[in-house]
Amino acid sequence: MSSTVKKKRKTKKNKELSPILLPSPESTPNPSLPDDLLISCFARVSRLYYPTLSFVSKSFGSLIASPELYKTRSLLNRTESCLYVYLRFHPDPTPYWYTLCRRPNPNITNDISIRKNKKKPCGYVLAAIQAPHSPPAPPAHWAGLVSVGSNIYNIGGPIVDKEASSRVSILDCRSQTWLEGPKMQVERKYPAANVIDGKIYVVGGCKDCDKSNWMEVFDTKTQVWELVSSPGAKICGDSIHKSAVIDEKVYVFGNCNGLALKPKDGTWQRVGWEMESGWAWYSYNVIGNVLYYYNDGGFKWYDTKVRVWRNLMGVKGLPRLPNYIARLADHGGKMAVLWDRKVPSSEDKKKTIWCAVIALERRNNDEEIWGKVEWYDAVLAVPESCRIEYAISATL
Amino acid sequence: MASSSTNKFVLKSNDDVSFEVTEAVAREFQVIAHIIDDDCAKKAIPLSNVTGEILSKMIEYGKKHIEEAPVDEEDEEGKKKLQIWDEEFMKQFNMEIVFQLILASNYLNNKGLLDLTCCTVADHIKDMTPDEVRTLFNVKNDYTTEEEEEIRKENSWAFE
Repeated sequence: MSSTVKKKRKTKKNKELSPILLPSPESTPNPSLPDDLLISCFARVSRLYYPTLSFVSKSFGSLIASPELYKTRSLLNRTESCLYVYLRFHPDPTPYWYTLCRRPNPNITNDISIRKNKKKPCGYVLAAIQAPHSPPAPPAHWAGLVSVGSNIYNIGGPIVDKEASSRVSILDCRSQTWLEGPKMQVERKYPAANVIDGKIYVVGGCKDCDKSNWMEVFDTKTQVWELVSSPGAKICGDSIHKSAVIDEKVYVFGNCNGLALKPKDGTWQRVGWEMESGWAWYSYNVIGNVLYYYNDGGFKWYDTKVRVWRNLMGVKGLPRLPNYIARLADHGGKMAVLWDRKVPSSEDKKKTIWCAVIALERRNNDEEIWGKVEWYDAVLAVPESCRIEYAISATL
Repeated sequence: MASSSTNKFVLKSNDDVSFEVTEAVAREFQVIAHIIDDDCAKKAIPLSNVTGEILSKMIEYGKKHIEEAPVDEEDEEGKKKLQIWDEEFMKQFNMEIVFQLILASNYLNNKGLLDLTCCTVADHIKDMTPDEVRTLFNVKNDYTTEEEEEIRKENSWAFE
């Protein structure tokens, strides 16, 4: 019954929009478009709306997951940075993956400057990734998660029984399915993975690592793993606390020591303690070649030129974030921030996951970085047991 | 040999409406350009998949893009002007006509109009619910009742 009402409403809307060519009688449906023309239309729609389109029918669902669609998007220069969020509901070890998308509603605005009531949502939501019949997501630790193009790589253990593993799982964000990738040469537990130029550098996590096997690299083009000789095992040890890529150098901290490796020319250098101190262990990420962290209510970034941590300036209008834990992700050069808050009045212990996107701009001879909150929104309601494990963007 | 601005061709729709156009306008549609090149365009060119109503709009588009073509790649002002005209041009159509224009510009191979019409549809569908998209594209919901229930349960935000 409701669909008839909707149909009438829309036809009326069309009439108002079309003063010259009146629509044909209500019963005439629009001509059907063949798949290649549907793809031409979908490729021009923001990826934020794809989950909704995939609910239309199975055939739409498979078009939305088809390689042709993403080929067309890339030919049309319409690829976007798409945010993926990994959640866990303790004590359940199963990983749940979500992707940022928008609800269908023409009455919402994403411009917070014109949102009169700031509590009003701007239409973003986290949609669960659950392609029918797709294999379940393998367990992951955030330090071993990286993205290259449209793939998210989940590298190493622990997989089961908290063991080290050489397993590599790949989330193909186009079809939203998990595939098994080529295994590493060494079994690793909580390794740190970082990407330079389409190559994934994995360090540490092996038992009794030595010079020859502490680091290995995966070329996503040739799909081959290779060991890289480095002094890392001696300096940083097996267990890596933090790592990041800035200026094509992999910064690694472990064993109370810092190391910067430049794989391109095989050079390395020790890194002073000023970078390590203050760098919050949990809430950090590299965004547009700059390392940021969130801690104690504020955002900081590391100025590699003068080796100091600086405050991110100008971030205004965000609701209160938790004091220490917020996940940061590079969202096409902007900063995506994810955090959760308890719903104050809820009796059944609920939480809300929030997301904000902050545009970043260098000023004053690069000595300052200013952040402008583009939008923030409550994107998912979850039970209190939920934890945001990680947030990462893929390009689609 | 006559220049392409004076050389004329007649395009004939599937409901027998004829339009006389210059060669330059006719060549805006690649399929017709091939017919001209193959020297098969002595008489009226019949276009079996396009109605007169749609063809007249396509010719209007083709004419405008010949007359107001940007001088070169750097002619930003010219490009902008044409873009504004394109937007206004599309505003007059309901979605049924837009769909027919997509099919016809694909059939006659005019990349510009195909891009424009596909963009119009893309812009139109982005805030629609799955039910509304289904009606617009005239597609059947082929999810089973169980699958549909599952989708609605997991993604209630999309159906509100």
